[in-house]
Amino acid sequence: MAKKLKEFLSQLEDRLPADLLRIDRPIDPSRFEVTALLQHLENRSRFPALLFEKPLNLHGKPSSFPVLSNLFATRGRCALALGLDPKDGALPLSLEYARREEQLIPPVKVPAREAPVKEVIKCDKEADIYEFPIVRHHAMDPAPYIDMTPVMKDPEEGFYNVAFLRNMVKGPRRLGIHMSPRHNWQIHRKNEEKKRPTPVAIVVSHHPSFYLGALNVSPFGVDDYARVGAVMGEPLRLTASETWGEDFLVPADAEIVIEGHVLPNVKEVEAPFGEFPGYYGPQRLRPVIEVTAITHRRDAVFQHIFVGHRDNWILGGIPKEGSLFNLIRGIVPTAKAVHFPISGCGRFHCYVSIDKKIDGETKQAALAALAGCDFVKHVVVVDADIDVHNEEEVMWAVATRVQADQDVDILKNVKGNMLDPSQTDDIMTAKMIIDATRPAKRPFAARVRVPEEALARTRIEDFIPPAILDRLPKS
Amino acid sequence: MAKIFWVTCPRCQGEFYCHWDELRHKEIKLLCPFCSHQFLDKESPKITE
Repeated sequence: MAKKLKEFLSQLEDRLPADLLRIDRPIDPSRFEVTALLQHLENRSRFPALLFEKPLNLHGKPSSFPVLSNLFATRGRCALALGLDPKDGALPLSLEYARREEQLIPPVKVPAREAPVKEVIKCDKEADIYEFPIVRHHAMDPAPYIDMTPVMKDPEEGFYNVAFLRNMVKGPRRLGIHMSPRHNWQIHRKNEEKKRPTPVAIVVSHHPSFYLGALNVSPFGVDDYARVGAVMGEPLRLTASETWGEDFLVPADAEIVIEGHVLPNVKEVEAPFGEFPGYYGPQRLRPVIEVTAITHRRDAVFQHIFVGHRDNWILGGIPKEGSLFNLIRGIVPTAKAVHFPISGCGRFHCYVSIDKKIDGETKQAALAALAGCDFVKHVVVVDADIDVHNEEEVMWAVATRVQADQDVDILKNVKGNMLDPSQTDDIMTAKMIIDATRPAKRPFAARVRVPEEALARTRIEDFIPPAILDRLPKS
Repeated sequence: MAKIFWVTCPRCQGEFYCHWDELRHKEIKLLCPFCSHQFLDKESPKITE
C-alpha cells in the first residue's frame, strides 16, 4: 500500500491527537492570516500541525483545498512519518534516516488510471494556480509563494532531482523560481545552454516521508526518486506526466502536481522572500515557469512549509544528520551522532560526537561534515559522553574543553550559501571548526558525577510523590 | 549574501532591498512588495547602499 498524506494525518490524530489542530474558521492565506496564526503559536512555544479546512483561494473564494501547515515542526512527527515511535525523534531518527539513506529503491511505474494524482486533470488554459489557497508568508514577500518541491530531470543522464525551491505566484499560469547553484540549477543550466526549456513538476503535497527523502544529501547524478523511495521505505510510484508523457514521470500518490517549463534565458524580478535563515533574500532576477498542467486528487490537501521557522529547520536538519553520519562514519568509524540544531536553522551549525581514539580524528570528522554539505558553516566536534541533541551539553563542552588558540580553526573562501546574510560574497564564506573534545595525549580532568550506587539506592519516588514531581519547576 | 541596496517605493514609501549586481543602475523595473508598483531604482526617493 503506497504511503499517502491523508493516511498519515489519520495516523497522527490517532497517535498524537494534540499534534494536529483543525481550524474550521475561514482564513485568507494570501493576506498573511495563516502565518499570523503560526507566529502567535510560535510566540507561545507551541508547534502543532495545522489543517485549515476553510481557506480562501487566490480568487478570494472558498477553496476546496485545505491548507496543511507546520507538519515538520516537531521531530516526533518526523519520526512518525518514517514509521518510528514519536518518542524516538532524536538520535534514533537520525540513525534510521542514515540507514535508509544508504540504499536506493528504484521507483515503479503505474498507469494513470491507478494514479490518484490524476483524479483531476487541467491542462493549458484550464490550469489555474489561483484556485489554490497559496500562502503569503512574511511582510516583505511580494506575493504568495509555493514553497514545496520542484522535480527536474537531467537532460543527459536521465536521473531526476527533487529539491525544495520557492515559487513566486506571478499569474494564473506563471511562477518565478529561485535556484541556488545546486542540483536543479545544474540541470536548468544544461538546458539553457542549448536554449531549451527545462521541464519541471512541482510536487505540492505528498506523504511527509517523501519530503524528508527529498532533502537527502546525495551527490549530483543519484536518482532522487530512488533515494526518496529508500527513505519512504517503499518504491515511489510514478506515472506519466500530462505534458511530456513517459519522458517525464511524476509521483502517482502526490496530492497535487503542477507541471510546466522553466523558460530558457528569461529572467524577471522575484522576491524579496523570507528565507530559511530567518531573513529575506533580496529581490533579484530569477527564471520563470510557464505552467502547462495541474493534476490533483479530488480531495487534495495543499501543503506549505513555514520557511524561516521550526517547520523549515527541523525538516532541513534531519536528512543532513543521516547523510553526514554515513559520510563521517566512513572516515571516523567511532562517530556516534550528528545533529543540526534549531539554533543553526537546521543547516549552519553541525554537532558531531565521536569516541575519539587519536587526536586527528576530530578534524577528519569536521572536514567531512564541511565537504559533505555546503550549508554547514560551524562544526563542533564533541566526545561521546556529550549528547549532541542537548545544546546545553554541547556548549558546556565548548566552555570546558576548548582553548580558542588551539582548538578553533577557520577556513576562508569556501562555498557557502547565498542566503546567509553574514556572507560578504554571493557564494564564498568562512567556515569554523571547534574541537570540543578532550585531548587524547594528556591527562584531563574528570566530569563530576553522583555515584551510580547512590542513584540506584536513593529512589526519587521514595522521597517525592509523582504528583508533586510533575509540578516541580523545570529550567 | 550578495551586496544589496535598500530602495524606497516612490508610491507607498515602503522599503525593501535588492541584489546590487543584478538590479542597481540597470534599466530594470523593481517591484514593490507592498503595493506592486513597478519603478526604476533611480526613481526611488532614497537608496541605501
